[in-house]
Amino acid sequence: MTSLRLLAIVLAAVALDAGTSGEVQVSTLVRDGRVYVSSTLTDGVIEELDEAIQSGLTTTFTYETELRRPVSIWFDRVLATATVSAAVQFDTLTGRYQLSRSVDGRIEDSKVSDDKAAVKRFVTAFERLPLFGTADLEPNVEYYVRVRVRTRPRVTWFFWPWDRGSATGFARFTFIP
Amino acid sequence: MPETLGSPTSLRLSAPASAAPPPPRRRRPFRDNPLLLLLGILALIGVLSFTMTLANRSSGLAPDFLSEFVLYSLSVVDLTMLVALVFVLARSVIKLLVERKRGLPFARFRAKLVTVLLAMTLVPAVLVLLVGSQLIFNSVDRWFNAPMDEILDSAQRIASDYYHDRQRQVSGEASRLARSLAAADLASPDVRLLRDAIAPPVSGQQLTLVEVYRVQRGPEAETRVVPVVDVASASMSAVANRASSDRLATRAAGGQPDVWIREPLEGGGELIRAAAVVRKADGAAVGVVVATVHLTGELALRARRMTKAYESYTQLKVLKRPLTGVYLSFFLMVTLMVLVSATWMGLYLAKRITRPVQLLAAAAREIGAGHFEHRVERETADEFGSLVDAFNTMADELATSRLQLDRSTIDLQQKHAEVEERRRFTEAVLDRVATGVITIDARGRIGTVNPAAVRLLGLGATVIGQPASAVFGHGDLLPLSTLATATYAPGKEWPAQEIALVRDGREVQLAVAATPLQADGGPLEGRVLVLDDITPLIRAQKVAAWREVARRLAHEIKNPLTPIQLSAQRLQRQFAAAPDHVRAFVDECTGTIVGEVDSLKALVDEFSQFARMPAPRRVPTDLHDVLLGTLALYDGLFQSVKIETLFAVSLPRVRLDPDQIRRVVINLLDNAIEAFNQRGQIVVETHHDAGSGVVRIVIADDGPGIAAEERDKLFMPYFSTKKRGSGLGLAIVRRIVAEHGGTVEAGPNEPRGSRFTIELPCESREGGTEGTAP
Repeated sequence: MTSLRLLAIVLAAVALDAGTSGEVQVSTLVRDGRVYVSSTLTDGVIEELDEAIQSGLTTTFTYETELRRPVSIWFDRVLATATVSAAVQFDTLTGRYQLSRSVDGRIEDSKVSDDKAAVKRFVTAFERLPLFGTADLEPNVEYYVRVRVRTRPRVTWFFWPWDRGSATGFARFTFIP
Repeated sequence: MPETLGSPTSLRLSAPASAAPPPPRRRRPFRDNPLLLLLGILALIGVLSFTMTLANRSSGLAPDFLSEFVLYSLSVVDLTMLVALVFVLARSVIKLLVERKRGLPFARFRAKLVTVLLAMTLVPAVLVLLVGSQLIFNSVDRWFNAPMDEILDSAQRIASDYYHDRQRQVSGEASRLARSLAAADLASPDVRLLRDAIAPPVSGQQLTLVEVYRVQRGPEAETRVVPVVDVASASMSAVANRASSDRLATRAAGGQPDVWIREPLEGGGELIRAAAVVRKADGAAVGVVVATVHLTGELALRARRMTKAYESYTQLKVLKRPLTGVYLSFFLMVTLMVLVSATWMGLYLAKRITRPVQLLAAAAREIGAGHFEHRVERETADEFGSLVDAFNTMADELATSRLQLDRSTIDLQQKHAEVEERRRFTEAVLDRVATGVITIDARGRIGTVNPAAVRLLGLGATVIGQPASAVFGHGDLLPLSTLATATYAPGKEWPAQEIALVRDGREVQLAVAATPLQADGGPLEGRVLVLDDITPLIRAQKVAAWREVARRLAHEIKNPLTPIQLSAQRLQRQFAAAPDHVRAFVDECTGTIVGEVDSLKALVDEFSQFARMPAPRRVPTDLHDVLLGTLALYDGLFQSVKIETLFAVSLPRVRLDPDQIRRVVINLLDNAIEAFNQRGQIVVETHHDAGSGVVRIVIADDGPGIAAEERDKLFMPYFSTKKRGSGLGLAIVRRIVAEHGGTVEAGPNEPRGSRFTIELPCESREGGTEGTAP
């Protein structure tokens, strides 16, 4: 009985860790020589991590953003990458959330809130961040931005080395100068 | 034992392989490298020590560190070891299957050994893993039970309520002060009124610090706050942090509602700050009041501790699954480590045990295949090493023995070759000699018979191995049986004997001598019968005797013939005048006497001629010219006689006396013509036998032929089948041919008649005469 339980736990952990628990809606806007990226993580992920957030653990949502060019019959070419991180820490004593957002390690925004809905919006979405330049893009060529979300801390039984991330989304666009 | 023979070194040096360059030094496998083994064991001990240390300190590590780094590391290690275990097992299983399929020795033993060791380790390890996992699950479930949840939740609520009360109190004071300053001029340089207005809460210890800011609008309508005045208690001066108040004021001036913060202090205690906007009657914000209270009491400290405990508990609860995973991974890692070690150790031990035996078995096969230079390298100093040494010693001795055997074999082969050469030479001599040789072993069985003996005795090849008494025990060979089986005393002379045999109608005279085969002082190993054909010798002796008889006869008879003839002629002359009847009687008598005397003279002349036949004057001659010249004498002489010639295409020149050979041919032709009564056919042939070095003249007729028993007597003097004749013709023929070094034989012609064959040695192409000289 114990062995079956252990096996079920391992399988469930692998499935939970390797599976996709949400989707990412990605949109792009090219303007003034920059590629603005907006991303929204659908419901599901924040609920899974709500208990961790409420415990006071620093919870991080990392959006690994890649500007890619499709290549036929081969791996797509990665032109540029940017990492957007949103961290939240709940103060159990005061009941307020400490929020911060960074792009490639630079703090871009920081605030305190006790509004849970605002906290959810802050960590699950970012709007029109100028993540990439257009200097290296060729006119009239299709590109796409892929966003992959990873969350910390992990709450799984077991770590699967080939983690695919919590959620992935992408948006295509044709560069017209 | 000689060094050159017995030394394995000399054997290796003599081997062809020793001339080849030495093979590249093979890298020692991991299992045979003590240094690597030691390092591996140390690394394993290090990993185990680190794991134990980590496990001991796991309670002090941050939960998220445990759930992130530790769990990840353990998971990777577990997966790596699992892959390693599967790889080692799969490789071992495949290898064992292949070895069993190939029928390699000890494959089954190795499989059993590895299986037993693995089973002995697997069962307790898995049991420990299962029991330990169950204990972890139970322990973790017990950690986060419902009473603990309720206690910590209640404690946290108490602390939170306390902080909320204090926050509401500070916020209320800030709002009250802001309202009281609505009519004040915050831009006035005189701040005494303002200080008086905000001092009472501080002096009344409701607040620790009150700060007033004035709101200013920038050129671009941005909002800035400027500190105007503050009132602080004496204990606050050491911990005051203007920057924190400025940020709070800015946020309040910016329009954020319910602005307050909790600020932990480094030296202990906390500050609760709250900001309230000072507004004019028209609602315009002109300033900000920041009220601060310093929580230093025991209650705040305990509340803080309760909150910390609650957070730790809830965080552990959130990370319940990763923490459980950490502990399970620890157990799994140790289990896998034990299994991998047990598997590897099993394989190592199996190989360690079976490898020397396998090497010995392979070496035994190599040596069995004749590779005596093969040796087993000693890898250990234990009993297996001693076994390897003993095996190598045995291989050395085998190699030495083999070397000696090879040399003995070479000597034997050389001696055998010499003996064989000698035997072939002896056989060749025995094959070529005209003397018959028969060997008989000690048991009386025939050992060898040379061709001359076979020819002389008319034996077959099957007589070899048969008893001599059986082979010679019948017919005219009976005298040989006596010689072959008779017992002779040592030292007694072994006798010779002449025997006469009839072979193909010819009488053959043999001189047989028996000789013992006996080494010096040794037992009798057998005997040798030597047979010489003395027929020609007997014939020559007879001819010589007849020649002597003829010479004496001619001498004794011829002398009185002339007086007899003269006396008869004198009587005839005396009675010439006698009466007719007397004269007729006398003439008849004297005529008869004279005629018979003439006949006797002719006979005596022929005898004389036979007796005093001159030696041939041999000169190189074309035989065909002699034959054609002789045959020309018969042209047209006999109407019913046909002489046909079948000459060889070419004949070498023959050294012969043409007159004597012509006489031989005439004699044979006359005999043939007389034999078929001047009515028949004669064929004269010539042949050249280059192999024997003779030319052959054949004169065949289709007359009545000669009886087989008379053929050999034909050539004896005074033997004749004719009613008249001296009987010397064919004797003279044989003598002439014999004095030319040749032979003459008479035989039957097919389909009928006689066939005389004359063989004469011929000249070689270089001009010499082949065959024996007369």
